Amino acid sequence: MRINLVLELLDSPGQLVKALEPISNYGVNLVTVIHKRDYKNDNGNVPVQLTIEGEQEDLKSIVNKYEELGFSIIEMDGVVLKEKITTVFFGHIVDQDLRDTMDRINALDGVVIVAFDIKLNGEEKSTALINIEADIGRKQDVFNRIAEIAEEKDLLVINEV
Amino acid sequence: MKECKVIIMGFGSVGQGVANALSMKKDLIKDKTGVDVKVVAAADSSSSAISQDGLDEELLVKTKNKEGKLSAYPEFGSDKNGADVLDAVEYDCLIEATPTNIVDAQPALSLTLKAFEQGKDVVTSNKGHLALKFKEVVGAAEKAGVEFKYEASVGGSMPIINFTKETLASCEIKSIKGILNGTTNYILSRMTSEGSEYEVILKESQELGIAETDPTQDVEGIDAACKTVILANSLLGIDATYSDVKVQGISQINSEAIELAKRDDYLIKLIAEVSPDNLQVSPRLVKRGSSYDVSGTLNMATIKTDLADEVSVIGLGAGSLETASAMLTDLISILKNKY
Repeated sequence: MRINLVLELLDSPGQLVKALEPISNYGVNLVTVIHKRDYKNDNGNVPVQLTIEGEQEDLKSIVNKYEELGFSIIEMDGVVLKEKITTVFFGHIVDQDLRDTMDRINALDGVVIVAFDIKLNGEEKSTALINIEADIGRKQDVFNRIAEIAEEKDLLVINEV
Repeated sequence: MKECKVIIMGFGSVGQGVANALSMKKDLIKDKTGVDVKVVAAADSSSSAISQDGLDEELLVKTKNKEGKLSAYPEFGSDKNGADVLDAVEYDCLIEATPTNIVDAQPALSLTLKAFEQGKDVVTSNKGHLALKFKEVVGAAEKAGVEFKYEASVGGSMPIINFTKETLASCEIKSIKGILNGTTNYILSRMTSEGSEYEVILKESQELGIAETDPTQDVEGIDAACKTVILANSLLGIDATYSDVKVQGISQINSEAIELAKRDDYLIKLIAEVSPDNLQVSPRLVKRGSSYDVSGTLNMATIKTDLADEVSVIGLGAGSLETASAMLTDLISILKNKY
């Protein structure tokens, strides 16, 4: 049996080797590996495309291992597993407990903030752009959570159309 | 030759546009429909010009611009105004172009209902009565057995209502998302291209006549919300009124937000969303290069359907002749259907 995966790696030394280790540990064949370090996703991570061949059980274990190691699988057999959500906040973002805001978004299952860009304006309201990665099908939950936080903290939200 | 006698109510930018467009297109309308269109009355807020034998469209516009009121029209000037004009002359179709009033929908509401009672067809560019009392007004037209057309109320020259009803007749409409206000799109486009602040561009837009002296209706999303209600009722069959729309304008958008969005290849646009579970006007992020990426005073809408998937339309959302083009199209379709 054969599967195609697209993983996202941090752009730091040794990541590719780390990603290949489970494949050799389980004695699974590596059919293809495409890794272009110059090409980065929106979140700054490097996508690597793998095709591996072996027993179904072993392949499953490898996928589980990746999840355990915190590698993000964004595509499996051509099916996109993660989607990206971009949103802008405007308001007293820092004063209104920024950490709490981020924790509450990250607390959603399968949802993680991958980038956060903020412009401060002295004592005035600030503006932030947030990139979120979520498992497919979780988008509405993310929007609901954002709306709830915004309402509570009096932030203006600019969601994607 | 068959004849259609029309009254133009409201003689501001739109009313004058209709007069100008009629004078340009009379022969074309005659060729296309075999009907001679005659303006038997035109009225501004305080006076009118009335003649059963027909008025000269160009002279109406000239009189209004030179003298400030239509009562100065040679020989046929009159002090009658409002609903009285509808009683003063025999007519077939009311072209209603009075200013939108989102508080009580007047005078459009009573003029329109009166015309229906008199058994007359109505073409309108007004949003007030449609946004506040859509069901009542459309119901009254049906009861009276007359035609009621309002293409010009949404998107100016951009075809959307008749287009969706007729050209996409095979499809069920799932949602409509779009830019339905040209003034805010102009302001946001310039903030994006120049990196300037909202207040600066607003002021310039007012000087250019793109934004009004009191820009509230546009910048606070009220105008787009009215259009959201009209599309929801007429195209998605949602029984909604103005108060059902969640509205957020653009006055809080600053250059930082626009710049941050730009870095990620997004633009900020005031988007109206019409779907069964969401009626909303709010600033949204749209991908650069997507169908929402239209700048200046342009309007656009993406109609999501079951069979045809997504269809998008773009056009000038305001302007005298542009809005008049939609009203004339409505008039022509009445002439084709009924005469």
